[in-house]
Amino acid sequence: MSTNLIQNYISKPVTSTQTQTKPKPQFDIQQELNNRTFIKPLRAKGTLLNGNIFASPKYAFDNTIYSIKAIKHAAAGNANDHELGKINDVGLVGGGLAIAGYLFTRRTTPLTKGLEFVGLGTFLASMTIWPKVAIQLPAYLIHGVNVQKKYQDSFGRVKPFYQDPQFIPWDLYSDEEIQKIGNRLRVPKDIPNRRDFIQEKMKKIAVQNNTLWMLTAGFAPAIMTGLVCNGVTPYLNRYLDEIKNKKADNILANVEKASKKYQTHPIENAIKEITKTNGNKPITRELTEQIADVFAIHLDPVTSESFRKDLSTFLWDGKYSITEQTAKDTAKNITEVFSKGFSENFLKEVLPNEEQMLQLFRDNNIVGTSLKPVEFKKVQDIVVNEIIKRAETFNQANPDNAEDIKYIKKVINSHTTNEHPIIKALSTTRSAILDSAVQTKLNNTAKIFDDFKAKNLALDEYALIKTGSAPETVIANYWNDVSGEILKTLGIQYKDIEKIRFDRKLMGNLLRERLETIASDKAAYEKVMKNLVEKISTINTKIKSGDINSHMLKGDYTPTAYEEKVNTIFTEYASEIRKAGFNRTADAIVGKNGNEAGSYIAVQKAFAEERMLGVKSSFFRLLNTLDFFRKVADDPNALRTFNKVPREVKEELIEMCKIISLEGHSSDHATKFYMMRNPSPNADTSPLEVKNGKIVNKYFGKANGTTDIPGDKFFYQNGMNFMFGDGIHKDTQTIIDNSSINEEFANYRRLVFEKVGGEEYFWKKRHKVFGYSDVGSDIKFLLTGIAPDELIFKTGQQHFNTTKWLKTFGYFGAGLLGVTVLAQFFFGRMKNPEVKK
Amino acid sequence: MILPVNSITFSANDKDKKSLEYTHDTLLKNNIATRMRIGVDKVTNAFTVYPAKGMKGSKNANFYEFLTMGTVPYLLGSGTLMMMFNGTSKHYAPFQRVMSRETGNKLAMGVLFYGIMKSVSKSFVSEPVKMLTGVDTERPYAKVIYELPEDINDTDIMSIEHHKVFESVEFPRWDLLYGDEVKGEKRNYRYDKIAKKLGLGSNLNDSDQEVKPKIKNIVVKSNLAKNISSYLWAAVGVGLAFQEPWEKYFQVMTFKFWKGKQFGKSLKSFGKSFVESAKSLWTGKGKGVEKHAGKMLVGIAALSTILGVINSVTGIKKPAKASEIVKKNEGYVKA
Repeated sequence: MSTNLIQNYISKPVTSTQTQTKPKPQFDIQQELNNRTFIKPLRAKGTLLNGNIFASPKYAFDNTIYSIKAIKHAAAGNANDHELGKINDVGLVGGGLAIAGYLFTRRTTPLTKGLEFVGLGTFLASMTIWPKVAIQLPAYLIHGVNVQKKYQDSFGRVKPFYQDPQFIPWDLYSDEEIQKIGNRLRVPKDIPNRRDFIQEKMKKIAVQNNTLWMLTAGFAPAIMTGLVCNGVTPYLNRYLDEIKNKKADNILANVEKASKKYQTHPIENAIKEITKTNGNKPITRELTEQIADVFAIHLDPVTSESFRKDLSTFLWDGKYSITEQTAKDTAKNITEVFSKGFSENFLKEVLPNEEQMLQLFRDNNIVGTSLKPVEFKKVQDIVVNEIIKRAETFNQANPDNAEDIKYIKKVINSHTTNEHPIIKALSTTRSAILDSAVQTKLNNTAKIFDDFKAKNLALDEYALIKTGSAPETVIANYWNDVSGEILKTLGIQYKDIEKIRFDRKLMGNLLRERLETIASDKAAYEKVMKNLVEKISTINTKIKSGDINSHMLKGDYTPTAYEEKVNTIFTEYASEIRKAGFNRTADAIVGKNGNEAGSYIAVQKAFAEERMLGVKSSFFRLLNTLDFFRKVADDPNALRTFNKVPREVKEELIEMCKIISLEGHSSDHATKFYMMRNPSPNADTSPLEVKNGKIVNKYFGKANGTTDIPGDKFFYQNGMNFMFGDGIHKDTQTIIDNSSINEEFANYRRLVFEKVGGEEYFWKKRHKVFGYSDVGSDIKFLLTGIAPDELIFKTGQQHFNTTKWLKTFGYFGAGLLGVTVLAQFFFGRMKNPEVKK
Repeated sequence: MILPVNSITFSANDKDKKSLEYTHDTLLKNNIATRMRIGVDKVTNAFTVYPAKGMKGSKNANFYEFLTMGTVPYLLGSGTLMMMFNGTSKHYAPFQRVMSRETGNKLAMGVLFYGIMKSVSKSFVSEPVKMLTGVDTERPYAKVIYELPEDINDTDIMSIEHHKVFESVEFPRWDLLYGDEVKGEKRNYRYDKIAKKLGLGSNLNDSDQEVKPKIKNIVVKSNLAKNISSYLWAAVGVGLAFQEPWEKYFQVMTFKFWKGKQFGKSLKSFGKSFVESAKSLWTGKGKGVEKHAGKMLVGIAALSTILGVINSVTGIKKPAKASEIVKKNEGYVKA
């Protein structure tokens, strides 16, 4: 019988009772479900981040804190992927700083050092700004989609919303927001699954933009960095120039303080080392050299030569030491003086060889003793007596070849001090011991030298910062500033020099053309001249004429502040070393009997002064050239002595003056210059004609067989008078009179006239225009300065290079931006689904 | 329902099937040949396939492709930096041209060395860590991707991505490190090796469970070391490129390998300049900081590597925390 299963149920009714559990307060069905058997993802607790396209400072701050925490977590081995990603960014910045820091040390000037960090900062900033400006902003304006949207996830991590197109947290957008974006994207309103379609479209736009970002990010930061650095350079340079200039002024105001950093006591330390190893030992020639070398490397070659001589006396105690070497040297020197006129036998038998001489010295107990120079006869007697004794023996043995004893004595004794065989031997072993007294003297001297060297270096630093022929000195910045302005003021532009920039002649022609045009128009001339004078005058603000100046130009020989300091420091030093016994050295430092010519102090002063003369003369020359062009353009017939000369000669003369003032070098003023002229000029003495600043040449350039006419000294002298001897044009005078360079400019013109025009070989022999030129070729060279055509040639090339670079990469950058923005119009294109009917 | 992907085929016929090297995610050997192959594959794709997909806004574009495309700005940026100095130099006067090109060439060299040093220096950390712990933090694997068809005719839906096992410290591919028992490999043999190296002993029942937290710890720490030190080594590369001895090399530099003699001379000069530049970087010029800047740069980079390695291998012999070990007898989720 089978069991009736149903029956079982019937017979066993369910008796269990179900207990009602109270519902939990704050019951959350989602949480309950999560805690069931299924593993479900955590609930989305992320939020979309709203903000403008530029990261707020708060975000940057939070990001930094997050990165620091990430490093801490990673060091403990607990960081997550997001944190490790942040650490990578930290590494990137750290590496960048390391590069900038290293290259900073490799650069030699403040501007190039500064630009290393500007470059790094700009590069990093560009990496952030480019996607925001070129990608995010246009995409938002065109599509209404923020493709660089960020969100904060459940763990508080900030991530790009479209980072991974396969895992976009769409649920963070409300339906309303998506629909609104859809409207902006012009998605039809009544299509099925509109939200999905909008999301697809947004995703597509984001993917396309992310790709575009990657494709353009290589070009953009590099170009942006280059452009920004280029733009920043003048401002940074100006700022650094002011700092540098102030620094130099502070050095001059307190040289003592500025010299502290140079007080490294190199000579004192080296002398201490020497005295440590050679204390209380005889001062040999080698040791003297060693000591001299320690001082000499800190002196200029001329002074060091004097110093060596002084030192030799300084270390000598006034006696000669008699050593074994003295004996050997004596034997050698004696043999030498007997080498002529005596037989071989005589020399061999009579003269003691080195060993015998040494034995003689030993037998007489003079080795190891010392004597004063006047006591050299003690040694001489011993040597002469020995030789005579031997000679007598020789004469007895060789009566046929006997030598006169008196003559033998004479051979030794009759020599002057320098040639005397015994004095010569003694003088190589001057007696001196490096005892404590000498050590103290040496140390004190070393202190004087070290102190002077430190102050001298501070003065050098000042002179270098202000007037050094090096990049970014005050005068170099001034030069660049003014020459750039000259180009701008004369209206010389990129397109003007593009084709001719490598040809100095063509660049010179361009300059001449420009000057003639400007000179022909009073208003234009006054404007240009005023601009140039104002710009050139700035030198007197940057480097006060009371601090450093050219006395010649200033016409005032009162020492400048710099020279005062030099005088004080150098004379103090000279006086101290003179007291210590270094008279020759002191003379080399400050000169003899008040005459500084050729001394160290003269060199120290001349460096700064001559730099000022060269730079100022170069710019004054341009002013003078422009003034001459104005005189010609205004009324060439007003130039003196013109009435009597033929018109053809006048035309030649004006042409020659224009050439020499635009192109002439200092060598051109000394025999080298040749003007091709017509040896048989037309007798026509009619006045010159001028049009647009140019002479209308009726004869010049038309004659055949032109040649230089060296005999016509008046021609060249007139030229010099026109350019420098005669007064400047009244328009120029008005402008110059109101400037700070009026006296200097007048002096410059006078100096060129006198010093260059007074040269014996001025252009041709006996052509000189002034009585006597009392300066060297260096001053003539500095007064001549740079030729204006050369100035424009060099500055023009720099201007071209910069502009070319800016144009090339500016256009490239603009093109890149344009293409990037334009691409937006082709993004996000999708076929709309069919509209519900 | 989740379909077994290995059995899926969308091809119309066998001819359309793309012949791929891998049919499933495959662990690869970490050697120079593999690394080179992966590198070439990634760079090629970064300049060809991925931009094409991205610009079309492909539905299959993913984060891996975006990251791989990171090479593009790097290389194009290098070229741009070179171009900025060399691009307009032909318009300059001869002396200015020489100076500009010299700077441009140094910059180019700097970018090149930056990339090389950044890449190579990662092994300064990973190799010692591997030697000391047995954990290869750079182990690559090939990931087979099944994409969505772009359209109805698109049958080419498989692609390969090259990832690293420990690319994500939160989701490492532990599964790839298990041995294939079908091939006769012991299931935990890789974990056993690491456990032994870490001093946890041999013949552990569940070496994988023992070492996984430790591996993760090592990976995180060595990633920290790599992320910081690689950029400092990259800076050393730039420093090296900015040394004067390279100027001699630039005078004979040529890439025309078909001109044997010239190319040989160029290579020889490169080697010589490299050695001299390395010396120059180390010895420095001038005085004070300027003199020792090169030493400091190299020293900081080396120090970051050494400290990174020390930190990576420190504390690994401590027993795992109880909370880090999976208790097999307990449920993962409370009922």
